Amino acid sequence: MMRVDLAVVGAGPAGLAAAAEAVTHGMTVALIDDNARPGGQYFRHVPPSFRRTAATAFDKDRARAEALFAITRHPQVTYLPEATVWDVPEPLTLAVAAGPRSGQVEAGAIVVAAGAHDRPVPFPGWTLPGVVSAGGVQNLIKGFRLVPGTRAAVAGNGPLLFLIGASLLRAGVAVAAVVEAAPIDRRLPAALPQLLAAPEILQQALDYRWALLRAGVPVLTGWAPVNAEGEDAVRAVQAAPIAEDGSVDRARARSFDCDLLVVGFGLVPSVELLRLAGAGLRFDRRRGGWLPERDEALETTRRNIFAAGDGTGIGGVELALIEGRRAAVEAAVQLSRIAPFAADEIRAGLRRRWKRLDRFRRGIEALFAPPKDFLALQTPQTVLCRCEEVTRQEIEERRAEGFRGAVQLKSTTRMGMGRCQGRNCMATLAALVAADSGASESAVALPKARAPARPIPIGDLLHETIPPPDLPADPHLPRKRRT
Amino acid sequence: MTHRFDAGIDRGTAFTITVDDAAVRAFPGESVAAALLGDGRRAFRRTARTGAPRSLYCGMGVCWDCLVTIDGRSGLRACMTEAQPGMRVLTGRTGLEPEAGR
Ligand SMILES: Cc1cc2nc3c(=O)[nH]c(=O)nc-3n(C[C@H](O)[C@H](O)[C@H](O)COP(=O)(O)OP(=O)(O)OC[C@H]3O[C@@H](n4cnc5c(N)ncnc54)[C@H](O)[C@@H]3O)c2cc1C
Ligand code: FES
Repeated sequence: MMRVDLAVVGAGPAGLAAAAEAVTHGMTVALIDDNARPGGQYFRHVPPSFRRTAATAFDKDRARAEALFAITRHPQVTYLPEATVWDVPEPLTLAVAAGPRSGQVEAGAIVVAAGAHDRPVPFPGWTLPGVVSAGGVQNLIKGFRLVPGTRAAVAGNGPLLFLIGASLLRAGVAVAAVVEAAPIDRRLPAALPQLLAAPEILQQALDYRWALLRAGVPVLTGWAPVNAEGEDAVRAVQAAPIAEDGSVDRARARSFDCDLLVVGFGLVPSVELLRLAGAGLRFDRRRGGWLPERDEALETTRRNIFAAGDGTGIGGVELALIEGRRAAVEAAVQLSRIAPFAADEIRAGLRRRWKRLDRFRRGIEALFAPPKDFLALQTPQTVLCRCEEVTRQEIEERRAEGFRGAVQLKSTTRMGMGRCQGRNCMATLAALVAADSGASESAVALPKARAPARPIPIGDLLHETIPPPDLPADPHLPRKRRT
Repeated sequence: MTHRFDAGIDRGTAFTITVDDAAVRAFPGESVAAALLGDGRRAFRRTARTGAPRSLYCGMGVCWDCLVTIDGRSGLRACMTEAQPGMRVLTGRTGLEPEAGR
């Protein structure tokens, strides 16, 4: 058992910033992240064994990353890499799985900066080799200078598509098309005033778009992928216009040859830990789905549990950095580590910047607001649950038998019961159930949150000092240990 | 085909891992997935239920689609495992084993 003032879950931009701020107020910090290296989604770099011979555009922000990473070596900080927080057994205690280092961390306050993961959107062929998530491709490019293909298409929804398209070009790969579901060109004038709140970020986005234009890459807006074609790997993608109500016009489909199809439909905040902690959540579709409720101090409905960064709603790296600091300041106030007047001064500066970036984020959300749903991309044979290979047709068959809610459909089809623990399919199931009942996704009762929050190796539980919780009867999950 | 590009980096000296009896080149620090993709491989395994080919999808440890067997241990995520000289990697039907750990 380890005891610290502040436990930070996630060593991405938000978590690193929180740790850095906390030490300036004299707090001891445990910084826990399941990756081998700090940086989260944004600050990813080649392994130390890759020697740098020249600075390139791929190293953008490297100096800032190095400065942030320094906090992992600070004497007040215990940095736990390759460590997964899998439960919140007590209000301010975290259960950590990290091989022989597994155990509990007890804290005065917790900042959950768990980030987000790609939103999975099923369409025919999306399980084929060569169809890779935007985050996955970004990791290969940033982390290994590798692109798993020579001719790529990029499809989905959200600002990252243009970034990926531009970095593929920079990596020397041909880009067959960029397919964006939102009609952004039509919406740009209305969103512009908000976007101008952060002209430096807007400029970056325009640069990406310009690079694609210069390379002659077709950019289809208001279109969506309707089929990935191939037997053993993707060979081509078909895209078709998609309307705001989610209907697709397959008759107008266009085909693009590619050996890599990058799919990115935006990001989903990782709230599983906050759900386990019993924190209140609310639904905000444009911002990624279920988000923790927070007050002005970024505190969740659980006392002294704060949440920051993309895990609270997608906002980008700059917002995550500020939120991390804000959360740490508030934790310091709660634990009386900072005088109120001193806190007010820091708060004012941070809030000003936060407001500006939040305004920009609202502009992005308006611009890229997705169609009502992406269910029309599916055919009966489309696999919805990658782990258990449950198809749309199987769901429809169970429905015809009278099974309706998410919980019933999950238990009768095994959808959501595989290794990924539903992270790749529960959103789809919720959307299906919502469309069926005419209710909003937010009204769909999802299966109860259960530990482990993330899959963990069973061996790690043997190092645990508390009895593992009741686990679902799922062969892919570690089982309850008999003692 | 996969494309390793050398923008501003020197990968160092490659070593060899064995993948289903074939020798595959990997560079220090690469994940097993990067080495497999770098070798031009597409499918990493076939699924238990329908035998469908699968490969790297999320690339960050979330989807469990990139499972391979390494040095006799099944159900390991190729995207989360660093390649080591002499590793023996088996692709194929590895979705079958329950309780596969690290
Ligand atoms: C492909 C891609 C490209 C992007 N490009 C840009 C860009 O150009 N500009 C921009 O502004 N934003 C970009 N973003 C978004 C950007 O990555 C995020 O805004 C930023 O990284 C958010 O920081 P964060 O600290 O909130 O979360 P993250 O960076 O996601 O970090 C969260 C960390 O917490 C860890 N974690 C989560 N749960 C647990 C747990 N239970 N136990 C242990 N560890 C845990 C995660 O593994 C991760 O390391 C991109 C995102 C993606 C996916
Ligand atoms: S590719 Fe998703 S876990 Fe490895």
